[in-house]
Amino acid sequence: MFRPLEMSRVELAVSEQDIVAVTEALAASEAFHPTRTDQLSGGSGPNYGEKWEEKVPIFTSLEQRIQTVMEALDVDEGPPPSETPHLIEPDLAQRDVSRLEQEAQAPARELEEELCRLSRLRSQIKQLQTIAGLEVDVDELRHMRYTFVLLGTMPVANVERLQTSLELIPSVLVTLRRDNHLATVALFGTQRDAEILNRAARSAYLNPLKLPETVRGTPVEAIAALEESIKRTRLRITEYEATLERLHQMRVDHLRHLLWRVRASRTLAETIARYGRLRYTYLIAGWVPTSKLPQLEQRIKEVSEQIVVEVEKPSRKDSEHIPVALENPPPVRPFQDLVTNYGHPKYGEMDPTLMMTLTFPLIFGIMFGDIGHGLVLALLGLLLTSRAVRALQGLAGLGPLLIYCGVASTIFGFLYGSIFGLEEALTPLWTHPMENIMDILMATVAIGTLLLNLGMVLNVVNAALDRRWGHVLFDHNGLAGMMLYWSLIGLVVQFFTDNLPFSAEWLFLSAAVSGLAVTFSEVLENLVEGRRPLIEDETSTYLIQLPIEIFETVITMMSNTLSYVRMGAFAVGHGALGMVVFIMAEIVGPAHGPAYWTVVALGNLFVIGFEGMIVGIQTLRLEYYEFFSKFFSGGGMRYRPLSLIPRER
Amino acid sequence: MGVKSVTTYALPHALVRALYATILPTATWQDLVQAQDMDAILAILSKTAYQPYLEIERELLTPRRVVYQTRCRLADLYDKIIDVVAEPGRQLLLWLWRLYEVDNIKAVLRGVEAGASWKEVLYLLSPMARHATLTKDSLEKMVQTEDVTRAVELTSDTPYYDTLAHALERYQAEKSLFPLEVALDLEYSRRLWQSVDQLAGLDHEQALRIVGSILDKDNLLWAIRYRVYHNLSEQEIINYTLPFGYQVHDEDIRAIATGSNITQVVKRIYPDLEGVEAISEDGTGLEKLERALQHRVVQLCHAAFLGYPFHIGIPIAYLILNEYEIEGLTVLVEAKTSHLPLDIFAPMLVVHTATPS
Repeated sequence: MFRPLEMSRVELAVSEQDIVAVTEALAASEAFHPTRTDQLSGGSGPNYGEKWEEKVPIFTSLEQRIQTVMEALDVDEGPPPSETPHLIEPDLAQRDVSRLEQEAQAPARELEEELCRLSRLRSQIKQLQTIAGLEVDVDELRHMRYTFVLLGTMPVANVERLQTSLELIPSVLVTLRRDNHLATVALFGTQRDAEILNRAARSAYLNPLKLPETVRGTPVEAIAALEESIKRTRLRITEYEATLERLHQMRVDHLRHLLWRVRASRTLAETIARYGRLRYTYLIAGWVPTSKLPQLEQRIKEVSEQIVVEVEKPSRKDSEHIPVALENPPPVRPFQDLVTNYGHPKYGEMDPTLMMTLTFPLIFGIMFGDIGHGLVLALLGLLLTSRAVRALQGLAGLGPLLIYCGVASTIFGFLYGSIFGLEEALTPLWTHPMENIMDILMATVAIGTLLLNLGMVLNVVNAALDRRWGHVLFDHNGLAGMMLYWSLIGLVVQFFTDNLPFSAEWLFLSAAVSGLAVTFSEVLENLVEGRRPLIEDETSTYLIQLPIEIFETVITMMSNTLSYVRMGAFAVGHGALGMVVFIMAEIVGPAHGPAYWTVVALGNLFVIGFEGMIVGIQTLRLEYYEFFSKFFSGGGMRYRPLSLIPRER
Repeated sequence: MGVKSVTTYALPHALVRALYATILPTATWQDLVQAQDMDAILAILSKTAYQPYLEIERELLTPRRVVYQTRCRLADLYDKIIDVVAEPGRQLLLWLWRLYEVDNIKAVLRGVEAGASWKEVLYLLSPMARHATLTKDSLEKMVQTEDVTRAVELTSDTPYYDTLAHALERYQAEKSLFPLEVALDLEYSRRLWQSVDQLAGLDHEQALRIVGSILDKDNLLWAIRYRVYHNLSEQEIINYTLPFGYQVHDEDIRAIATGSNITQVVKRIYPDLEGVEAISEDGTGLEKLERALQHRVVQLCHAAFLGYPFHIGIPIAYLILNEYEIEGLTVLVEAKTSHLPLDIFAPMLVVHTATPS
């Protein structure tokens, strides 16, 4: 729980005939993190045996084709199957997919065509409706011998311009209908001027109505005929939809199964293509948590007794290449996500999840101490965790965090004597932050000091685990840094009181010694850890940097410590916001009627939502930037066990 | 000239006055014109207001990229000024700015038709900053459609959609972007004119003078070009031009459309216009006319800064001057890249030659 799981490096030599079964067994173990060994096959793939890299695009294409069929039949992917499907041969899958395509594509294509026809008919009706007032046979208008007639739509803004342009040409432009942007017009003239009129109409963006030759009679009659066609088209659409629905019912399970099987086969082919390869033997390498090694070996033995399995304990210097598996009990898991959001610890480094679990609710509670607000947050957390409300299911991961923070707020609510912003209703077990501002600020600085020191202790532990003794002794956040920090605190406290067991001289001496150690930490660390050269930059540059280094260290220590004052400030601010809510309620409803309670309720909701969010962000900031930066570098490799289908974690 | 105009334009005026000092002075233009190559141009510009926009790796500063970066400054200037100008003047500035959006749409549609990639199209566009109805992402999606019709569909949330969608039928029939581009230009000009019409009093007078003159220039040149280069019919020329303007009226356009002597029509509209020669039926003299009309606009912009200062003319004039400045820089960058001799490109630097020293 305090450190990532111990990992073992596993190497397998597997014959070609067992490779699929072994890969499926490795995936089924849910514990094997593969690493690339394809350099053994020379990069472009071998010229013998099965060519897995060539199967990948075949499976990808099959997957896309299945998805197209599913789309046509309105079938979704469904959840991943509980058992990982086995490899399917590409030829078999091809045949199956082709059959499904034949079955589904004909009605789907017919349906699409009918839908296009329906849309075309509707568009024709829409065009005819614009000239519905004309009692003329559309067909006659088409075949006028001496008169030029052009029916169409054009931008309203162009109508006047078209009229102007045709002033000298014998013609009449009639506006039949005018919408916001478009006007339906009829342009009349003589056939002799047809070319001029057509060019003019085109340049004014007069788009002629497009009515097929089949449309005859007056516009009203033509509309009635088109509506009949629409009815028939709709009937055909209903028939095709019914066919597709029937196919959906018949094939839904088969399609989903086939999709997941092809998908798993693609992942399997991709995985095998990355293995190292001798002529007929595959070399597989990867990492497994040591605790799961016997189980993995058992699974491999079940496939074949012939498989050679070599297990190796990793050396310390490989730590950057070892995946990091964190395994914390479920109640602590939400904080593990917060930690990994910052970074994965390196292999062998401390896992800060437990520290986060203890300190995050503590800091949040100090800043947001209120029994009522805490209980609301905890209840909201329970609601999210239960996934009872469908719309909030996406936030379920936030639930446990809210429960922890809500409980911590409630505890601090009792300590502060605050419930829903009422500061007078309860006797505080400790103090009212509003009444003892200095006490609360000093207390939070003290807590901050302890947290910073905890961070430094963890840094020392991490360095000791890594056997970096120079870092343990001389790092800014190592023993020398801690000594400097406490010496400076001692000197500040000495300034206010004489009751310290150490004299100022001793504190000065201690600060000077530790300060020098921190200042020359680079040289001293290199000296102790046997690294050369002792000074990496030029000596003159190094000497110039020295005073800046110690100045920056002291300033950082001060600012890190004072940063925790915000905990006290927020505790006071929280009380003040509660007061403001009640003052506003008093102004709106002095008689303590419904208006008063409405303002109290809305005000409290605002405080819980808005201030709660800000306090949450500040807590995260203190954790990430003040606490983690002392001991946690992140940068570890994430442990990703092989899986042929995605599993919800 | 009342208290209202002072309160409305006090802030824009102060801002524009401050920014006016950043317009490239004649001495800088002279240095730019004499610059040996692109590095010399960049060195000169690094001492001007363009410096922050050109602070990228030298290898990335291709001529096209330099032009794009200078346009970023124009986007920022429009942003700043639009923010401090109240309605209805703000609407006019927005529409002035949208000229670049219209140009972007045209460039994207040309890119789509030519099968260009987004990378090839991107630096031909004008950066639009906040006041755009089509974001960079939307324009990228348009390019990715590889189809003009589908690209037009993606403009459905913009003021240009109705116009483009209606003109699409002609594009589909003629397979040419010309009808789409003309429709877009005409619609843009109408909207710009309407936003001038929304103004009253001194604001209207100033906007009409500058924006009306810009529209006049475009309208007159369109009419002449349609006649001499495209051989369009009288009706087509009329339909492809604007029925409004400041000094160019409908009868002038109709006169050009019906075949009247172009030089006489131009002389009638602008009796005092300098540098205009006879414009023949093959287009000779048209380039000089265009330059003379541009000079006129620049001079009108400088004139707006004289006299009573609290009106929309000041922000408009400042922005237009900047547009011409960037146009000048574009000419300069392209000329230096193609090693054009000074006497060829120098007359094209309108803002330089028309700016009083």
